[in-house]
Amino acid sequence: MTIFGKKLHWIDVAITLIIVALVLFVWQQIGSNLNYKWRWHLIPNFIAYWNEDTQSWVANLYLEGLFATIRICIMAGALALVLGFILGVARCSNNLTIRMLARTYVELLRNVPPLVIIFVFYFFLSEQIIVALNVEDWSRSIARSESSGIWELFFGDMRSFPALLSGVIVLGMFESAFVGEIVRAGIQSIPKGQTEAAESIGLSSVGKLRFIIFPQATRKVAAPLANQFISLVKDSAIISLISVQELSFVTFDIVVSTNAIFEPWITTALLYFTICFGLSLLFRRLE
Amino acid sequence: MNILKIKRGLTVTFAALALAFGSTAAIGQEASQSLSSESVIETIKQRGVIKVGLSTFAPWSMRDKQGELIGFEIDVANELAKDMGVEVEYFPTQWDGIIPALLSGKFDVIISSMTRTPSRNLTINFTEPYAYSGLTIMANKQMTEGFIFEDYNSSEVTFAARRASTAASVISTLFPEAQLLQFDENTASTQEVLNGRAHATMHSGPQPHTDSRTYPDTLYVPFDKVWLAQGESFGVRKGDPDALAYFNTWIGIKSVTGWMKERNDFWMKTDDWKDQISE
Repeated sequence: MTIFGKKLHWIDVAITLIIVALVLFVWQQIGSNLNYKWRWHLIPNFIAYWNEDTQSWVANLYLEGLFATIRICIMAGALALVLGFILGVARCSNNLTIRMLARTYVELLRNVPPLVIIFVFYFFLSEQIIVALNVEDWSRSIARSESSGIWELFFGDMRSFPALLSGVIVLGMFESAFVGEIVRAGIQSIPKGQTEAAESIGLSSVGKLRFIIFPQATRKVAAPLANQFISLVKDSAIISLISVQELSFVTFDIVVSTNAIFEPWITTALLYFTICFGLSLLFRRLE
Repeated sequence: MNILKIKRGLTVTFAALALAFGSTAAIGQEASQSLSSESVIETIKQRGVIKVGLSTFAPWSMRDKQGELIGFEIDVANELAKDMGVEVEYFPTQWDGIIPALLSGKFDVIISSMTRTPSRNLTINFTEPYAYSGLTIMANKQMTEGFIFEDYNSSEVTFAARRASTAASVISTLFPEAQLLQFDENTASTQEVLNGRAHATMHSGPQPHTDSRTYPDTLYVPFDKVWLAQGESFGVRKGDPDALAYFNTWIGIKSVTGWMKERNDFWMKTDDWKDQISE
């Protein structure tokens, strides 16, 4: 027997059968042990609904949460890339103080659980930043003004912009520690001979990085960075705990409002899977 | 040489750490001082917006079919904002973090079916209650067959409850011998009872009655008794007597005119709002 142009061994068939049997068994166990009324018909309405008055489709909680998650990931990813790049270069610096500061930052963020970092940041620091920059009044004035459309495209409901900002900063800071390590590994993976050769032809330290190290390192770090971005999408669920209205948070709300527990979470799991698997296919193609 | 290097590195690391934590603590202290020096009522009037923190909990606050917030507390907050002549902004928050979020100034007031308890009162202030719902036990029919009240206080019995809720602390006081499983929301604790992994749970408001109507074969309310109807109150930051005075006056007047009871009855005792939500 051949499938996908490859020959199928009898062991492959046996493994497939065992897996199918296992899935059926688990499914049957859930059906008989779980006292639960499945109400899948509740879910589509929370993705989008048809508004009779305006005769148009309106995005409901799920889509809003999904867009929020995508926005947060893009912004936090960009922040993590910038911070991480600086950290990675600082970690390879010749100056001990710079190296130690970067090391402190990386070790601090890498060795504390993300949940704890998020709480410390949200309850102690973020409010100070938001008050100091007067972000709240600024975003509220935009939310009230006529021309809020373009802002909402990028940042969602401007009234919840301060929460979004906290979420993006803390997520970006957390991920930057890992990006920094990837960048450092990339730089250090370039053989020492390259650096020496660059120095011998008289390149400055900036020129050395720019013309010799980075072009080679970029190729090496692309794959781990892509991987880190996918992990950021998954990590973003954790900022639901600081009340950022993203995909996981709206799922809590849907669970409470419908009294259905499995359908909303399964739907959310599928949405996350779709994003992450899609990204992973995309990155594989780019490579 | 190497050891020296490591030692130096460690010193730098610790110095940076101490600096980071020291400044954080100082900032926090200053913030709490400046928060208490002026009343939140003034801030609300100047801002033209009251920021209300809540954690969704049917039928106090929940999402309707359009994803908008509805419920008893939404009516209360809207009416409050209307009477103050300001707009209202809602901050849906996880229950676990709602008190820290109030303290760090994320919103002005908690209106989230929060029972006033002495231990919570050590951290925040409570207004006079605007509702008295109390807690009701809901149990699994098959598992608790023939049980009298005392039978629930046994190490064989498992309760489920929402984490950090009043229900969780009442269960451990009433039934010290029983096991207690804690979850993030009530739907999960109800599901544990439905699946027979917990004997019973305790919820406030009409939830136990509506749940046992949904699953009449499995769930029931064994005792026609309400525990700890000590009242749901607004929560405000400490050191702000003006805010307490204003909210107390407002709640007092709304209770005397019967508005509060009328709204409460609508959400707690009727099903007239059921067509607004997905069920």
